[in-house]
Parts: sequence; C-alpha cells; structure tokens
Amino acid sequence: MTNWEPVLLANVNRPNSEKIDTYLRYGGYEALRKALKMTPDQVTAEVKTSEIRGRGGAGFPAGVKWGFMPKDAPVKYLAINTDEGEPGTFKDRLIVERDPHSILEGVIIASYAIGAHRAFVYIRGEFFLGVKRWIKAISDAYQKGFLGKNILGSGFDLDVSVHRGAGAYICGEETAMLESLEGKRGVPRTKPPFPAQKGFWGKPTLVQNCETLANIPHIILRGGKWYSSIGTEKSKGMKIFCISGHVNSPGNFELPLGTPLKEIIYEHAGGVRKGRDIKAIIPGGSSTPFLTAEKINTPMGFETLQAAGSALGTGAIIVMDETTDMVEVVRRITRFYVHESCGYCFPCRIGGQRMLSSLERLAGGKGSKQDIEDLEYVAKGIYGRTFCPMGTGMAEPVLSGLRLFRPEFEMKTAKN
Amino acid sequence: MPNLIIDDLPIEVPAGTKVIEAAEQLGIIIPRFCYHKALGSVGACRMCAVKFLQGPFKGVQMSCLIDAQDGMVVSTTDEEAVAFRKFIIELLMLNHPHDCPVCDEGGQCLLQDMTVAGGHSLRRYLGRKRTYRDQNLGVFIAHEMNRCIHCYRCSRFYQEFAGYRDLGPTQIANRVYFGRFEDGQLESPFSGNLVDLCPTGVYTDKPARFQGRRWDFERLPSLCIHCSLGCNTIANARYRAVVRVEARFNDAVNGFFICDRGRFGFPYTNQPERPRQARIDGNESSLEDAVAGAGRKLADIAHRAGPNAIACLGSRRSSLETQGLLNHLCQLMQWAEPDYFLDPLLKKKVKSAISQLDSRVAVSLRQVETADFILAVGVDPLGEAPMLALAMRQAQRKEATVAVIDPRPVPLPFSFEHLAVPTWEMNGCLKLLMEEAMRKEDEKSAARDRMAAEEGWLRNNPASAEIRRQIAQLAALFQASRNPVLICGTDIVPEATPAVVGAWARSLLEEKGKCGLFYVLPDANAFGAGLLGAANDHAFLETVGAIERGEVRALIAVESDPFERFPDRSRLEQALAKLELLLVLDYVPSPMVQQAHIFLPTSTLFETGSTFINQEGRIQIAQPVYHGGTPLSQMNGGGHPPRVYAGGLPGGEPKPAWQLLIDLAGALSLAIETGAVENPLSLVASAHPLLAGLKNTSSLLDGVRCLPDVADAEPVPADMDPAVGPGTENELQLLFVDSIFGAEELSQYADVIRQVEGEPCLYMHTQDAERLGLVEGDRVLLTLDAGAIEARVCPSQSMAPGTLVLPRRRKLEWQKAKSFSTRVTPDRIEKLK
Ligand SMILES: Cc1cc2nc3c(=O)[nH]c(=O)nc-3n(C[C@H](O)[C@H](O)[C@H](O)COP(=O)(O)O)c2cc1C
Ligand code: SF4
Ligand code: SF4
Ligand code: SF4
Ligand code: FES
Repeated sequence: MTNWEPVLLANVNRPNSEKIDTYLRYGGYEALRKALKMTPDQVTAEVKTSEIRGRGGAGFPAGVKWGFMPKDAPVKYLAINTDEGEPGTFKDRLIVERDPHSILEGVIIASYAIGAHRAFVYIRGEFFLGVKRWIKAISDAYQKGFLGKNILGSGFDLDVSVHRGAGAYICGEETAMLESLEGKRGVPRTKPPFPAQKGFWGKPTLVQNCETLANIPHIILRGGKWYSSIGTEKSKGMKIFCISGHVNSPGNFELPLGTPLKEIIYEHAGGVRKGRDIKAIIPGGSSTPFLTAEKINTPMGFETLQAAGSALGTGAIIVMDETTDMVEVVRRITRFYVHESCGYCFPCRIGGQRMLSSLERLAGGKGSKQDIEDLEYVAKGIYGRTFCPMGTGMAEPVLSGLRLFRPEFEMKTAKN
Repeated sequence: MPNLIIDDLPIEVPAGTKVIEAAEQLGIIIPRFCYHKALGSVGACRMCAVKFLQGPFKGVQMSCLIDAQDGMVVSTTDEEAVAFRKFIIELLMLNHPHDCPVCDEGGQCLLQDMTVAGGHSLRRYLGRKRTYRDQNLGVFIAHEMNRCIHCYRCSRFYQEFAGYRDLGPTQIANRVYFGRFEDGQLESPFSGNLVDLCPTGVYTDKPARFQGRRWDFERLPSLCIHCSLGCNTIANARYRAVVRVEARFNDAVNGFFICDRGRFGFPYTNQPERPRQARIDGNESSLEDAVAGAGRKLADIAHRAGPNAIACLGSRRSSLETQGLLNHLCQLMQWAEPDYFLDPLLKKKVKSAISQLDSRVAVSLRQVETADFILAVGVDPLGEAPMLALAMRQAQRKEATVAVIDPRPVPLPFSFEHLAVPTWEMNGCLKLLMEEAMRKEDEKSAARDRMAAEEGWLRNNPASAEIRRQIAQLAALFQASRNPVLICGTDIVPEATPAVVGAWARSLLEEKGKCGLFYVLPDANAFGAGLLGAANDHAFLETVGAIERGEVRALIAVESDPFERFPDRSRLEQALAKLELLLVLDYVPSPMVQQAHIFLPTSTLFETGSTFINQEGRIQIAQPVYHGGTPLSQMNGGGHPPRVYAGGLPGGEPKPAWQLLIDLAGALSLAIETGAVENPLSLVASAHPLLAGLKNTSSLLDGVRCLPDVADAEPVPADMDPAVGPGTENELQLLFVDSIFGAEELSQYADVIRQVEGEPCLYMHTQDAERLGLVEGDRVLLTLDAGAIEARVCPSQSMAPGTLVLPRRRKLEWQKAKSFSTRVTPDRIEKLK
C-alpha cells in the first residue's frame, strides 16, 4: 500500500482542528501572505500550471475558469459551493467541519486572483455543524485581518458571508445555486451565459467547489509544478475519495488521482464485507454509471474512468457486494433523483415519475417485460436532452443498470 | 445577418433571432409549450426539439434556445426530433386528465392539439396520476391544477412580466404547484392574460365557463373602449350575447395582452337592464314613432326659440361615425356645436395634448417599452390606462429609469422614482427637472440654487429636500438617456401641463434626435372628440347654465351620461327638469336614460362595429361581432329551447347611434348625403384634414395614425400658474381620480367588476392623517358642499402632503362636491366611531 502524506486532510485529525489558532500553528494563511505579494495574474497562472480540475463533479479546469473571469468588470463575485448533495459524497462536509480555514484561505486567494470583493458560501441546510464552523471561521478571520478591508496591508478588500440552502439537491448545480442565493426558486439557468459572464445578480461570478478551493493554498505554497507532478496525465493532484457501501472501513481517504480502484477498496477501505465478491461499483457518486468487478483495476482519474464507461464525478465510491439486488439499487437511486428534480424541465420531471413507476413494480415483483422496455425507452429519451445535467444523471444509473444487469431485471418479471 | 436553411428553405434573419422564430418567418410552426414571444425562451418543455444537421450545433437541440447562425442546416421533420417530441407528449399525458369533453379549454387547447398532432393515443403508463387540489382564485379565473403541464408561462407572465407576486410556483419535482399561498382574488389587474397564455385548461375565463366551444362562437376582431389606449381584442359571441373577450396581438398597441377591465368589462352589452326599446315619456314606442316625435318637438322648439335653444351633448365613448354625424347634424341645423366635455378645463387640456402630437414625437404603447428613460407627469397608469403600467414595466425591466411626477399614491408594479408634489407644483417640478437635465455640466449647481430660490414652489413642501435630491439624480440619468419618453396625463394636471410637456418633447427631440411623447386621454375616443369638438372653450358646464337661464330648451344627449362625471348632481337634475325636451340615445341604462322624454336605443360596438381613435392618434376599427338582440338566456325565462313566435330579432331594435342621427335628420326634413348613409366614415373623412385617410377603410384593420408631420402645437399658456394654488396652511386639496375598477363608466355595469372594485378609500399623506388623528382603516364622514359622504381612510407615505385623493366611484356620490376640484378644511373630515 502506497502511503501518501495527506495534504487536504493533514489537519483534520488534530485536536481543535477547526480553530484558527490550530490552523495558524501549522502554517495556516502563509499561502495567503505569499499570494498577496504576487500579482493576481501570477496567482491565476500558478493555478493553471497546477492543472487542477474542479472537485464538484464536472471536473472543469479551475485555472481556465479563473481566466474566463472578465478583467475589466467592476463588480465580480466568488460563490463557494458547499451544497454537497450527491449520494455517497461526504468529503466537503469533513473539510468544512474540521478544517474550514483551509477552504477560507483558498477563498481569499481565489477572490484576490479574480478581483472579487464579495464572496458567498452556499451551504447545504442540513449541515448544522458546518454552518456554525463556517461562520466561526469567517468571524475569526475578520478578527485576524484576513478578511475585511485592506487584508494584511495589501490594499485588497474582501467580505464573505454564509447562506444556508433549504434542502434541495438541485441547488448544488451552480446556476440553480445562484438563483437560490438571489432568493429565488432553485432552478437552473440557461447556459450560456455562464456564471463567469453573468452570475450572481448578473455579474461575473466564479463558482467553485470547496474541496477545489482547499487545494489552492497548497498550490500557492508548493507551486503549480509540484501539484501537477502528482496524478495521471489528465487528472492532477490529491483527491479525497469517499468510500461507502459494503466495505469494511468506509470513510474519506485522501490519495493522488490515478490510484487504482482496487487499491482504494482493498487496501485503504479494508476490503469487502465478509470477504464477498463485488458485484457493482459506483465510482463517482450516484449519478455516475455502474462498473462491474472487471473494472476494478481502473485508476481513479477523469479520463481513465471515462474510458471504463463511467466518470470520476465527486470521487464518491459506493461498493456493492454479490448479494446486492441491483433492481432495488436502481430503484432507490432513481427515487432520490425523482424526488429531487427541480421540476423545471419536462423529461426529468415526468420521465422520472414514469421510470420510478416501472422500477417500483419491478422491484416489488409486479413488473413485466413492458416495464423494462419502458424504462429503457424513457431513460434514453431523458439522456442528454434535459435542461441541466441532472436529468442525464438520473438516466445514467438506469441505463447502466440495464446494460450491465439486465438479467436481474428480467428475473424479476419471470412470475408475471 | 445570419443565413440558414430550415427544412430546405433558406432564410436570412437578424442576429439574435432564435431558430424557432426564424422557422416561424418561413411559416413553419415548431411545436412549443414554454416558449412565448413576449415571455422569451426558457427551455423547460423540450417540445421545440429539432435536428441540427450542419453548422455550429449538431444533433437534436431546442430551437427556442439557439440563436440562428450562418451555415446552420436545420430539419424540423427529422425522425429523431419527431420521436423525441412524441416522447415528450406521451410524458405530458401521464398526469393529464383524460376528460377534454368536460374541460373548458377543449377546442382551443395547445396540449390537445399537440397530442393529436403527435399521434399519441395509446396509454402505456400504468402508475397513478399525480393530482392536486384547486384554489379559488377569485371572480375572473377558474383554476384546475390537474391540467397543468408546468410550462411556467403563468408564473413568468405574472411575476416577471407583470410584476405581481401572489401567484407562482411552490414545491419542487413532480409536485410543483402553481397558485397562491391561499385561496383568494388574484391581485394583478392583468390576471386575465393567464387564460390566453396557459396552454391547457388550468386557468379558464370564469364568467365565460361552459358557455361554448371556440367553434361555437361568433369571433371577430374588436377593440377595448374602457380607456383611451384602444387595446385590440377578439370578441366572442354566442346566442346573442358577448361571452368572452380575449387579447388580440397588435404590435403597435397592446402587444399580446390586455387588462382585466378590458377583458371582463363587456357585459354592459348583454345586461337584462339594457334599454332596448324606444320610449316616449316613459312609454314604449316604436323607433320610428320616437324618431318622428323627437323631430317634431325639435322643429317646434327651434321654430319658437331659435336654433340656439337646442344643445347637443356628444360622448367620448362614441364611435367616430357617431361623433361625426352628430357634428354634421348640428352644422346642418345651425345648432351650436356639440359638447364632448363637461369641464372646459379638461377640454382645453385634451385639445392642447392632441395639438402637440405629430409623427416625429408620438410613440405607440409598444414603443414606450423601448424607452430608456420615462418621465410620467400627472398620470396614474393603473387607474387611467392600465396597460400603460405594463408597458412601463417592460422598459423598467430593460433598466430604464422611470420617474413619475404626481401627487397621488401611484401604485405601479415596479420600482420607480416618485416625485410626489401637489398639482400646483407639478409644472414647477417638471421645469426644474427638465432644465437641469438639459443644462451643461458647469452651469448646474449654481443654477439649481437660483432656480429653487426664485421659484419658491418647493418652499412649502416639507419633502423639498428629498425632492431636490431626486431631481438632481434623475436629471443626470435623463441627460444620459438616448431614448426618453415623456408621458402626460390630462385628468388632474394643471391646464398648461400638456403643452409644457409637448414643448419639452420637441426640445429633447432637437437635442437628442429622439424623444417620445405619449398622452393619456379621458375615454376611448377622446381623441376624436378633441379633433371634432368645437374650437372654442365651450363645455357642457356652460350649457347647464344656459338651461338654467332658459336659453336652452332641448338637449340631445348621444351615448353620454353626464351623471357619471358632472360634479354637482342636484344642479344637473334640476337643470334637466327644466328642459322641454331631453332626447337621449344610448345603450346603457344610465340615469340620463331614466330622465329622458324621448329615448332611442343604440347598439354597442360589438353589434355595430365602429371606428375609434386612441390617445396616440391611431384610428382603429372594431368589426361587428354579432347581430344584437336580447340574449337567448334572457328569453322565455331562460328556458331551453327558447320559444318566441314572432318575426324579426327579439330585442333587436337598437340601431347605431349615427344611423339614428341620420333618421332624425330625415324627421327634420333634412337630407344627409347618400354616401354617408352607406359609409358614415366618408362624411367624417371630410370633417378634419387629419381624417382624410378614413376614405380608405381597408387600411384601418391594423390601425393607421392620423397625425401631422409637424404639429401645429398650441403654445404653453403665458400664465402657467395652475387654477388651484396653495391655500391656507391647513386646507387640503381634494382630487377626484380614476381607479382601475369601479370608476370607469361601462365596465361598472359588469357584476364581476363590481365585485372586485373594493371599498373606496380616501387617501391622504400619513402626516396629514396624523394631524387629523386618523389611522389606516378609520371611517370618516367627509362633508362636501352638497352633503357628506363616508369613506375609509388610507394613509400613504408616497403621496403629496396637503392632498386628498378620492376615486370617482359610482357608489360614493362624490358628486356632492359641486365642483370639479375642491379644497376642504380639516373640520370637514369627521372621524366616525
Ligand atoms: C444536479 C447537480 C448537482 C450538483 N451538486 C453539486 C454540489 O452539491 N456541490 C458542488 O460542489 N457541485 C455540484 N455540482 C457541480 C456544480 O454545478 C459546479 O460544476 C461546481 O460547483 C463547480 O465547482 P468546481 O469546478 O470547483 O467543481 C452539481 C451539478 C449538478 C448538475
Ligand atoms: S434536468 Fe430539468 S427538471 Fe431536472 S433538475 Fe435539471 S432543470 Fe430541473
Ligand atoms: S398553469 Fe398553465 S401556464 Fe402555468 S405552468 Fe401550468 S400549464 Fe403552464
Ligand atoms: S388598458 Fe385600456 S384599452 Fe387596454 S384593455 Fe385595459 S381598459 Fe382596455
Ligand atoms: S419551447 Fe423550447 S423548450 Fe419549450
């Protein structure tokens, strides 16, 4: 087992890790001091060099996104996505609760680089502790002069505030998040214009996942070159993998991108319960397609998982052993998405209802061949044709479930 | 300009045109639910999917979301796209009730059309339908949420387009619900548009429910005559009753929408109380006898007392045909020209406003939407011309600045700068703002101080500091604007205001190369009345004096009810009682009709079809929608089928007023040109040079403007001082004003309108209310010159101190005031226990 010195999770197990003093004791806010001595363009260039890609699910290169922020716009914003709603994902929560300052330092550096003087934390409403920790971290940072006017004498001003979500998964989607932040219904916006062109209140806005931001201080301190030396060709740096399901030691593990799935499951997460075989793996959160045990050697990277027929998503691995009822798994996942559809576009909103209706009959042993056909017809109809990617995320588990485990679905109809 | 190919047809469209629009220009209607020209694209329904074969986009994409671009090759009939649209339709029918036969939308339902067109007929879904509880949304709109397909058109219109918040989506996923937070009358006075917009039967026209399918109706283009904007409508009639009015698109007037007054205000034409029979001295008679009797009496009076003993009162709600023939009759008979105004002041203001308009400055209602700066003076859009509020909102949504100089608490569905000054300060305020906006940078502040000191008008206003700040701020924005529009009312403004505003519009035109001018006039055909009315200052007020003095002995009132607006009811009653002959022609059961010695029933615009000129100077025509007659539902006690064994059309006596005037001329042994009998407009066309275009009626279908190239504008009166100056310290100026419901003459005959008009309020500034010891909701007795009236107090921060505002509601008897504008001392306001 390759042991890696943790970067993002270096602090989380220290006593009082969330306190600003602890953070400072272990070199906190040094990166900020360094960044404030650089020009904003140099900071952005460093992030570009690191080749870090977004950790919120879509994997867009962060440096490139910063570069999209118009230079001449007088008002710009940064929005920090802490809505973490994708089933199987629990990494952002860990950082926010145990090491909020690592994100906040990234926030200040990013704001400096793009010229934003106002940043908003959008946090999932159920993260009660997370909300408290964010608020405390921000007020402590104000006290120490890391926030507010003229930060550390640099002449740079930044205010940060926290906004709690009200429990809708879709509000993790960046444009729905901006709508919600503006006090409206959380419904995605048309893209283009992208948030970097027209975001919060119509002003250029950088939306970044909080894990992505937590990487920034390390990139600044150790250099983009260092960061890009870790990982695979198209997936650079360290990543927190959340493992759950039928493994002996579920939890968060920070490893370089490109670590094989097998190593994560068997060496870090302690293997499958009761020594059973694996039937299916979800590698990147419940909206990414299933993999079968044959793909166990796939390195966990953006391009490698894509080649294997799935996606890295949020890096949330869900392991299912040989005893798992895959029809039931697909039903449960679908139920989640149907419940959480924002209700805006037709295929996702109603297609989901129709898929769930078939899945409920199938899982309940009352389904027929017609239900399977219907399921496939509807999932294909939804796939790629919805207003935002959520609809496609809803179709993925159904389509890959049918592709890989069709006999299980058919078994369920045997009686009818 | 992008060039693209859609279904093998090439087309060039302006940059920014969506593919769905480009196709429409080729006559290809791509299916859609959520897309609407006025509401834009949102990409919710996915119904407009087409296949992009070549160009920057590939594959099945939404045509409402993608701008037409060079090199695109698009197929709307591609198999994959068609299959996807079919898929969507099938999904929609998952939850939709299968009961079109009992749905009032059936026959005019987009969902029904698409389902049939898409070929979906076999249900494959075995699950349950999702269902909802419906709400009571008030008297105008019925609600059946199970029919909803969630296209979000309603909430986009209601909240984004119109600016009201009490209806919208709640919940998420498949549970999304469109409604209010609880049952209740919809607050927006534009709510009726939901009926036109909703592609299914969620919102249907409540008063018209179950009165017929679209194909049952006689449906023709009509006009709204409930204010001066002249919105275009479609009227639907069945069984001899107008059942329903819808908005008709007109790109120069109302766009896609109309207000609720216009939509629901039509029942005056159907009402059982409508006088359909001619009467002589209270006894029913034939029309011929009544006309002949009137002719004899008039001839006799003229013979005894000369032609000046006969006076005519025309109407601003009459068609141009009727106004023209009344004028013509007076000319032939050498009677005095007819009055169209009760108040000489209002007449002066309207005539002055009309004289300011020319094709350089006059803008249409739709053009108001494109302004980047709007200054409205003395106008309460929602009360006086409701759709104007919606047009101003569209400009404001595109970031125009809107400023309103008006003493009233002007409720508008968007944020704007309100310069709440009393009427006598309006011209001064306007002058200060305009001079500031037109002034060069370096002269500014010095001049401002000098102005304020000299003018002195701000001295009495406790809010003067705030107003000065507003003016400075607005002036800067005004100066930067490229497409300003000045809007001016004619109701409460001082005499000079229309001319002042017109003069400023011309200066701005010179300075900026562009400036719009938009007046709001009193009533649907005030423009015609202003154009055809006598050049002098004579108004009905003087006629009343002449009747009292015995000089006038006969009065012919054509579709005019002075009891609506004459401020002294008992004086009017007494004067009318002195007449030897009161001849009334009308289609509503007005108090005037009750008092008539001879009454002749006239037909409504739905029956006659007629021509009106809106406040912009646009001549528009309404077509005859049905033949008239007593509605079937009122015959035979409503029994079905109605059995009337008689020839002719029951209740079909009424004739167009102009026709009756021709008949009357005949009875007076006068011959009207034969051409006029065929086409009354030919006669009107020669009555005024600006109306020459009327000869060609076919051009009128879409409306034509009758404006000069360069206005021969009436000058700003030398004496700009308004009639009512500041009174003593404590006195309050009492203004009688319009309100959206309950103060407009014709719509008040509609039950539904009376139900929503609400209780009339006496508005006063919070500070005045405090001084009088009054709070919101208190009831007061307001003693006017001829008696007291009761009203509820509504204190408001956003109005001019020193002003009282009272809507001219029929139920208020405000006519106890005795004069058109009045001042009251605080002791006349008594709080009721
Ligand atoms: C349905 C949906 C849900 C999403 N939920 C989240 C979320 O909870 N947290 C998150 O960071 N990004 C989420 N995203 C991704 C965001 O839209 C966005 O790509 C991301 O916040 C950008 O930050 P990054 O580039 O740092 O990843 C979601 C996307 C979709 C389509
Ligand atoms: S796919 Fe459509 S309904 Fe689903 S969440 Fe996205 S916008 Fe909403
Ligand atoms: S109520 Fe009508 S307009 Fe509103 S979303 Fe439903 S179908 Fe569309
Ligand atoms: S704005 Fe005036 S003309 Fe238009 S519909 Fe309303 S009342 Fe009629
Ligand atoms: S019309 Fe294009 S998505 Fe609805």
